[in-house]
Amino acid sequence: MSYITGPDVVKYACTCGLLKPISYLYFCRYCTQLRCSFCVCHEVDSNFCGKCSENIPSSEARSKKNRCGNCYICPSCEQELSPRVASSKASAEGDEKVAARKMYYLFCQFCRWSSRDVGIPDQSSVTGGWPERENVHANSLHELLDLDKAIVLAQKQQQEKDKKKQRGKFISYTDRTGVTAAALRKRIGLPADLTHPLLKSKPKEPEPMVARTEVEKLPDDIFTKPINLMEITTINQRLLQPEAQPTTVDKLFPVHKQLSIKRTLRCRTCEHNVSKPEYNPSSVKFKIQLFAYYHVPEVRIVTVEPLRAGKPCELILKFTNPTQHQTTISFEELNLVECSEIEENKFSELVQNLSIQDKQPLSLSNQSSGSLSLSSRSPSIVVKPRTITKSTNCTVEIPTSSFILLPRDDAAEYDDSGDTHSIQDDPKLVKWRKSNKAFVRLTVTPDEGLPLNTEVNCGFVMQHLYTNTISGQLEKKEPQKYDHKVKVFLTLGVTVGSE
Amino acid sequence: MELSDINYDKGDYVETASGNKVCRQTILCGSQNIVLQGKVIVQLDAIIRGDLANVKTGRYCIISKDAVLRPPYKKFSKGVAFFPLTMGDHVYVGEKSLVNAAIVGNYVYIGKNCIIGRRCTLKDCCVIEDNTVLAPETVVPPFTRYGGSPGTCIGDLPECQADLMVDFTRSYYQHFQPTKLI
Amino acid sequence: MAIYETLNSDKLTVVLDIGTVYTKFGFAGEFAPRNIMKSTVRCKRTDRLRRIWDYESPEDLYDLLVEFIHVIYFKYAILSPKDKPIIIVESLLCPTLFRETLAKVLFSHFEISMMLCLPSHLVSLASMAVDTALVVDVGYKEAVVIPICHGLPMLQAWQALPLGAQAIHNKVRQLLGSNNTGIQNLGEDVMEDIKVRCCFVTEKSRALQFASEKPSIQFCPDVKYPIGGTESIIVSGKVREKAFEILYEEDNDHLCLSTMILDAILQVDINLRQLLAENIFLIGGTAMTAGFKARLKEELEGQLENERYGKLHLKKLAFHSPPCKENYAAWLGGAIYGATELLNMRAVTKEIYFKEKRLPDWIHLSETSRNL
Repeated sequence: MSYITGPDVVKYACTCGLLKPISYLYFCRYCTQLRCSFCVCHEVDSNFCGKCSENIPSSEARSKKNRCGNCYICPSCEQELSPRVASSKASAEGDEKVAARKMYYLFCQFCRWSSRDVGIPDQSSVTGGWPERENVHANSLHELLDLDKAIVLAQKQQQEKDKKKQRGKFISYTDRTGVTAAALRKRIGLPADLTHPLLKSKPKEPEPMVARTEVEKLPDDIFTKPINLMEITTINQRLLQPEAQPTTVDKLFPVHKQLSIKRTLRCRTCEHNVSKPEYNPSSVKFKIQLFAYYHVPEVRIVTVEPLRAGKPCELILKFTNPTQHQTTISFEELNLVECSEIEENKFSELVQNLSIQDKQPLSLSNQSSGSLSLSSRSPSIVVKPRTITKSTNCTVEIPTSSFILLPRDDAAEYDDSGDTHSIQDDPKLVKWRKSNKAFVRLTVTPDEGLPLNTEVNCGFVMQHLYTNTISGQLEKKEPQKYDHKVKVFLTLGVTVGSE
Repeated sequence: MELSDINYDKGDYVETASGNKVCRQTILCGSQNIVLQGKVIVQLDAIIRGDLANVKTGRYCIISKDAVLRPPYKKFSKGVAFFPLTMGDHVYVGEKSLVNAAIVGNYVYIGKNCIIGRRCTLKDCCVIEDNTVLAPETVVPPFTRYGGSPGTCIGDLPECQADLMVDFTRSYYQHFQPTKLI
Repeated sequence: MAIYETLNSDKLTVVLDIGTVYTKFGFAGEFAPRNIMKSTVRCKRTDRLRRIWDYESPEDLYDLLVEFIHVIYFKYAILSPKDKPIIIVESLLCPTLFRETLAKVLFSHFEISMMLCLPSHLVSLASMAVDTALVVDVGYKEAVVIPICHGLPMLQAWQALPLGAQAIHNKVRQLLGSNNTGIQNLGEDVMEDIKVRCCFVTEKSRALQFASEKPSIQFCPDVKYPIGGTESIIVSGKVREKAFEILYEEDNDHLCLSTMILDAILQVDINLRQLLAENIFLIGGTAMTAGFKARLKEELEGQLENERYGKLHLKKLAFHSPPCKENYAAWLGGAIYGATELLNMRAVTKEIYFKEKRLPDWIHLSETSRNL
């Protein structure tokens, strides 16, 4: 339940140093490392509309400005609009044929805004044909854009020409200092509004805007007329339509609904996918799902004895093995200072290795521009893992013995008969077990001198035996086994007073 | 946090052959139109309006105290028609929530005091936070977290949400035990 | 699918103008931003919205920007940022820490291919095809005046004062507090909404009347403004008319919005002064308020009669009206420039960035200022 609504009391340290609950972590099988949404590469997999649940190809999404062509949201309250059949009264005026045709209008079920409020005529089809507003300045802006494109292109060609000329050691003074032709012209007193010297074939020159001396005055009645707030749009309503930014409600037009995406996640180190969803927008299944929840044993707090500063108390944890392989779990003490030093060393080694590797592709990309696309496939930039900032104020007595977790067995869920396992457990450590779960008893001692009502945090390193199945399938070998270590942080609750 | 046991008085609940646990103090109107697929818990004072239209739930659904499941209606020029309410597997409906949706998918979590408007569609794997009011005919896409009034998307859910919900509803069912007499 | 994407993708270049309160986002070559959203991020720890510019440390800013850019790309742009170019429209006075952190986020976290920074004052002229103007940017935190002459920003003449939306919001709150209770508990977004929906910039003659001992005219009518579902506050005519007066109240150094504009003109070459005065261009969201331009003109004319600015000998004042809304004028300029070859010529590429480990500063980029 805590994963869905409550606070996250158990957090795992990701390889990048962030603390996350296990449900937000990924486990790259190829690097056997934990990853989180911060340290994987996100990519857009497919676009869909959240209302009509239809997949929209990326080209179509692009042409429709990432919005659904058929679904609209209310310009007033941003809820979804639904099409309504116009009541028969409206059609009664016309003859029989008109009455037979259904007319639709858009209606917001939350704030009761309707497309009739702003005078949009009813449409004959449910989906489309709603009028769109055009940018009044589009034409002049187009001309401008074309001109600018032409100028810069000419400038570029000129530059390339200049490069070929190779003007010896002396680099033009104007190039370096940024004293441009315009500035020079000004300095030597030439008229400034020359047409651009680099433009041979002149595209249609747009009229430069002329500033006006007369400015729009406040309307006279603003000082006397009381205003009706209901007619004036809020800033959010204005910004919902950035182009028009209507100030009064009678200019609000329905807005197309923004598309949503499904995304694939890719490990930055080995470029393998850690998550790839199915194409169908309403499907919740995945083609690739390397979530930590399926690979790393889950730790949950079952009960904690009342926490008192300096007094040992019993903590019961539940361990669940999500994999199909038996695993062994042992504990180690958490030492944050040492950890960060090791990480640092590892990182500097990694950077050195990378810089050696990098030299070659870099020199290649200088030679040919085509290799740019190749180099982008190479492992992405390594970001230095940050040090874990969370501090603990409670010591955990690390048990010396380890325990076994049986593989996950879905059939056991339906088997209500008693436990039939035959595992010799350390009775001090394992309190009770059932199928792939074990309840483990630990002793924790909050630090001496903690004031009352302080949040108690503790941590330990969980080492589990991870069975990697990928290499086994490929080379018909025995599945490889690794000892994987995870730092687990627990928020136990607050300290209470003595009995 | 692991769930702790939720105890009930054995006399208050009826357990069916398929594992449904239904409180005796609930209002199930038109029970012939209500289908509970199995291992469903219907708690004290919950109301299911099977008299309006069919109500069907999947397996491992939890209908909390004072929750109301009410099939949605639609107005036509000739009157009002009710539509069935279908609910998928592993759905949790919090206390005092009113569900008027047409379709509730699988692995859906609805918090406390929510109002799910008429003919809403909640897709698989979504969470409606406590005290949310969803406007009628809202569609909640998968892996989103809705909240506020009017309900809007306020966040994403982890990809393993389905398994979290399975685990949650199953352990809820397992921990929902009659009080043992000592 | 993938092949199709690569063929098409070179057309899509994200243009971003990250303001203190609002961020303008869209694509190069389009004439209006796709979205104008708040520059806020939902904090994971506290579940509250935080402004990006309220960062506490460089690391904090890095995290905020990662989150924010992520939302822009995956919620609004629907585009994988990897190996794509981006255009950032920024103020010439943008802090180095912010620029460098933004570059670090974009290059090392999102792995973009190239980044082009454009100075907001300069590029906002692109939509009007003029190359000399006095650009007055009245934003949230401050008002910044930079004269642009023949496509060159006259940086030595820049003027900035903390006269923006923030000052106005504080003023609204202060004025409201005099005849309402519980104003201090209302958020700044409420102040903004009151400002946008009720307030306007009044005429100078009226302002002078209100400033005198016994005004002979009445304030404009009061407005009842609802708060939440049941309560409401009275936004008096005094608040509505006086909120913007703060822009023209001279501070201890006798500086206000009108003087800073004239001071900027004073700083440039004598031959350019008249030209600049005839090409005043207002950008920024605050400049969209009703009556803003008219009042500014009145104030400027008033100041010119003073001895302080009499030597300017300006005959005429003229204002531009851009083919867009003022709050995205700078963004529009960026979008126009971004559609040209300038991107490939001037942008900082990934290779350069990782060699230099920093962004070139504006002095290196001054050549980009060349327009017509």
